[in-house]
Amino acid sequence: MARIQIKDLVKTFGAYNAVSGINMEIKDGEFMIMVGPSGCGKTTTLNMISGLETPTSGHIIIGNTVVNDLEPGERGLGMVFQDLALFPHMTVYENIAFGLRIKKEPRAEIDRRVTAAAEALHIKSLLPKLPRQCSGGESQRVALARTIVTNPAVFLMDEPLSSLDAKLRVDMRTELKRLHERLKATFVYVTHDQAEAMTMADSIVVMSKGKIEQLGTPLAIYNAPATQFVAGFFGTPTMNFLEGIVEANGRGRRFKAPGIDQPLPDSLPTGIAGKKITLGVRSEHVLVDASAPHAGTVLITEPLGDTTLVHFEYGQGKTLVAKVPPTTTLGPGAMLNFHFAPQACHLFDAAGGARLN
Amino acid sequence: MAVLSTLTPEQATARRARREGRRRILRHMALLAWTGFIVFPVYWMVMTSFKDSGEWVTWPPNWFPRDPTLLNYSQIFAFAHLDASQARQATEQSFTIWKGLGDAVLVCTTASFAALLLGTFLAYSISRFNVGGKYFRHTILTIRMIPPIVIAISILMYYAIIIPYVTSALFGFRLKLFDTYIGLILIYTVTTLPFVIWMMLTFIDEVPYTLEHAARMMGAGRMTVIWKIVLPLVASGMVVTFLFVFILNWAEFLLALTLTHPEVTTLTVLLNKFQSASEGRLYGPQAAIGTMITIPVVILGMLIQNHLVKGFSFGTIRK
Repeated sequence: MARIQIKDLVKTFGAYNAVSGINMEIKDGEFMIMVGPSGCGKTTTLNMISGLETPTSGHIIIGNTVVNDLEPGERGLGMVFQDLALFPHMTVYENIAFGLRIKKEPRAEIDRRVTAAAEALHIKSLLPKLPRQCSGGESQRVALARTIVTNPAVFLMDEPLSSLDAKLRVDMRTELKRLHERLKATFVYVTHDQAEAMTMADSIVVMSKGKIEQLGTPLAIYNAPATQFVAGFFGTPTMNFLEGIVEANGRGRRFKAPGIDQPLPDSLPTGIAGKKITLGVRSEHVLVDASAPHAGTVLITEPLGDTTLVHFEYGQGKTLVAKVPPTTTLGPGAMLNFHFAPQACHLFDAAGGARLN
Repeated sequence: MAVLSTLTPEQATARRARREGRRRILRHMALLAWTGFIVFPVYWMVMTSFKDSGEWVTWPPNWFPRDPTLLNYSQIFAFAHLDASQARQATEQSFTIWKGLGDAVLVCTTASFAALLLGTFLAYSISRFNVGGKYFRHTILTIRMIPPIVIAISILMYYAIIIPYVTSALFGFRLKLFDTYIGLILIYTVTTLPFVIWMMLTFIDEVPYTLEHAARMMGAGRMTVIWKIVLPLVASGMVVTFLFVFILNWAEFLLALTLTHPEVTTLTVLLNKFQSASEGRLYGPQAAIGTMITIPVVILGMLIQNHLVKGFSFGTIRK
């Protein structure tokens, strides 16, 4: 049983709060990804789960055991590091066998398990080589083999794909996901790449400034971000944000900003009329339509092949991005009309950034 | 459009070749002059070691021994008492090199190993746990900037008077450090320790700490991590450091002169003792000893050169 519970976890370095009191639960067999910008506390949290950092206060419970005072090697975890941390003076075989040798497994057993792990990751031919003779992708597999060979119930991964080139990274995502399916172990994965988090995770923890901003499934986080920070962090290009005021009249509530007069969904809580809010809308929900009420001027276009991004100016020098079909004929200087899909508007408190709808 | 140049590409290429050639000649001339300046005393020492006493200080000097002799070497390497053919009046009660050589090898090797062992562990704790604070590594190096002459007399007082007196008053036995192997080994270990720490820090800092984290995650204890991961990765650095410190100790003179006599004699001190009442300095045997002291330094220097290349190209660890 490898459920991980984190209770009121705090880590301070001098006067700096790296992690300020987080609570979460990682279910047995779950692929959990912690994501956030640099310095948000995600790696520190991972290091406290691993035992490489000692919490200032709070508890970490793996299974039914409080592991705060257990050494890293006593927690039954496996870890893959950002720089992979392959021992450069040992062959691939010795690297994979290291953990088993420390546990004083019999020689035949070590040989059997190293071979099995190498076969599982298709690196059997690399066994006699040194890490520096392996390519980036091969080193990645060696690091994984070294971790799976000890059969840990929990895998901790600290940005393991960040040293790979873009194409290989996408391939390895698929491979990691398949590995997770096969091993049925608990994965705790740290990354600053929101696309990695979206594609691999069963659930995502978004962190910022040592706190959890939101915890949920990838689609829940994408479709209903709990804060303006989360909304801006997920999705490419970044969500458009407009600052304005909610006005209520007989026809319902509307969002008013320079050059914008947008009807709002009915699901809004009462009492927000007159409030300053931030409206967030993803580029695919900025609809370009000749009959739409708002006008803008195209600045640049970015063709991506399957879609084209149109950056345009509206109102008083503000810019928005819209995702349009690649067949568009819009070019710099062209005029366009646009509106927002009302049900796809996210409303955030302009002061605190909390979600309102 | 502006006119770029009136030269054809071929002319420009030729001009560049001419300039580079001139620069290379100037560079080599300067380097040759400097090399001559550095090497000349060594040349003179080696030549003198093959000269008989009459030629040591003739004017005009003999650039090569007129009558090359191995007499100086047979004197310093003599096992038995010098027989009549070798015993010039001047060197009747001459010393041989053997005692000095043995003492120097014993003291320098032991002190260098002790400093290497201590310094490596100290460097590890400074690198990994910030022992002593952020600037401790620089503080350590400034300690070594104190000239030995400043500490020599104080150490002499401690060695010759204070420590023997205090130990006999407190524990009833005289701890003798003056003119003993242990005394000289101790001071050599202490004076070279800053260099060891400084050099080993640069090598240990190069070992990514995630390697140690990875090993600890797999259940390795702190000592296993040091033994299996850190030390193998800094081994070539340890060789370089050992050789460097050994050369420092081998060439040390002032502390050995101050803190020993007559029992313990290193080669540098022995060299200085080669003089006689009637003839003054015995340049021939001194030059022979000097040559013999220099040979291991040259060999070690060449070894260090190879290891330095290896030592510093060591950042091949994936970061």
